[in-house]
Amino acid sequence: MSTASLGSYYRTIITVAVVLLATAFLFSSLRVDAWVGLKPFFEWMGTTWFGVIGTTWGAVFAVVQAFHLLAMALMGGAIIVSDGRLLGLGFSEMDEREVLDKSHTIFSRSLAVVLLTGIFMACGVAMKIYYLEVYWYKMLALSVGILFTYGIKKPLLAKSLDDISPLVRRAVALSSLVVWFSVAGAGRWIGFSG
Amino acid sequence: MINQAVYSFSVWLDSLESSTLLHESFYMYNWIESTHVLFLMVSLGMLFLIDLRMLGYAFPNVPASKVAEKLSMPMFFGFAVMIITGLMLFYAIPVRSGQSLWLRIKVVLLIAAAVNALLFHWRMKRSISSWDTDAKAPIGLRLGAVLSIIFWVLIVICGRLIAYDWFDCAHGQSGLAGVLAGCIDGQAQF
Repeated sequence: MSTASLGSYYRTIITVAVVLLATAFLFSSLRVDAWVGLKPFFEWMGTTWFGVIGTTWGAVFAVVQAFHLLAMALMGGAIIVSDGRLLGLGFSEMDEREVLDKSHTIFSRSLAVVLLTGIFMACGVAMKIYYLEVYWYKMLALSVGILFTYGIKKPLLAKSLDDISPLVRRAVALSSLVVWFSVAGAGRWIGFSG
Repeated sequence: MINQAVYSFSVWLDSLESSTLLHESFYMYNWIESTHVLFLMVSLGMLFLIDLRMLGYAFPNVPASKVAEKLSMPMFFGFAVMIITGLMLFYAIPVRSGQSLWLRIKVVLLIAAAVNALLFHWRMKRSISSWDTDAKAPIGLRLGAVLSIIFWVLIVICGRLIAYDWFDCAHGQSGLAGVLAGCIDGQAQF
């Protein structure tokens, strides 16, 4: 099927379809099968260099964790500025296109650091997080956040901003804030679930 | 002398019922800790964006004064929340926190970061009209921005290390570590 037949919102439709499929997957027996199947992978993660360093040297783990937090702070700052601008909250005198584009660049780079440090940390506590329900919620929220940002928000805001209805802009900004706050909140929840 | 005073004050705080209640409340303590960590995004997120603007990496086409002016309000709000929640976290576990080497280093770094921020703000106010629309701030302010980032990276690292008990007085620290952590001879174990 040609994507043109889905109209100008094909990315949005595909993203929503992926999220719905993922939700259906979560409530089916396939979820348990996939979880059991992933166990060898998590066991392997613990044996990698990252896993060995993470479990052997607490100080290294803590420093990487600190950089995870720092990158998350910068990522959060970029989200607050871009979504605050879209909502018209306080950044109205700053050029909208400039703010959105630069914020997205900062967001993407910070996200790369968050993911890299996150992989290191996951290797250090692989089997702990494998059995931790909230870790999977965080991964779900993170996947939704990445899909939303790169599948919906970025393509939508790439258009001329004057052509986008104020309601849609606000809805996108609010959704972005909610999704990324959920990711951060679930991350903190992991912190006090062990 | 200072270590004895900090210890006595911490022991007094620890004797208060509300301190014990806060420490033993699983949800309340974790909500406070989570708020403390999550507000990094509001406080440090904004601060880093201001610093990166001065270095020419963020919003180089937006006047520096506008970036600083618009982001300062949420930044100060974020820092206010972090100070309040930080004090509450100290209040919940006062003796161990008061004798945490990492917290002590963190406090020194916080003071250094505050002094650097004041100097930065003063220098910026004095010279902004001559470089406001330039992509990069003058060298002195760029140095201040780099120092600010370094201080805050170290502050977050120290904050993370507080959770580790390597230098806790409960392990019987001696020598420099014991003095810097503020361990008192014959102190009660908490």
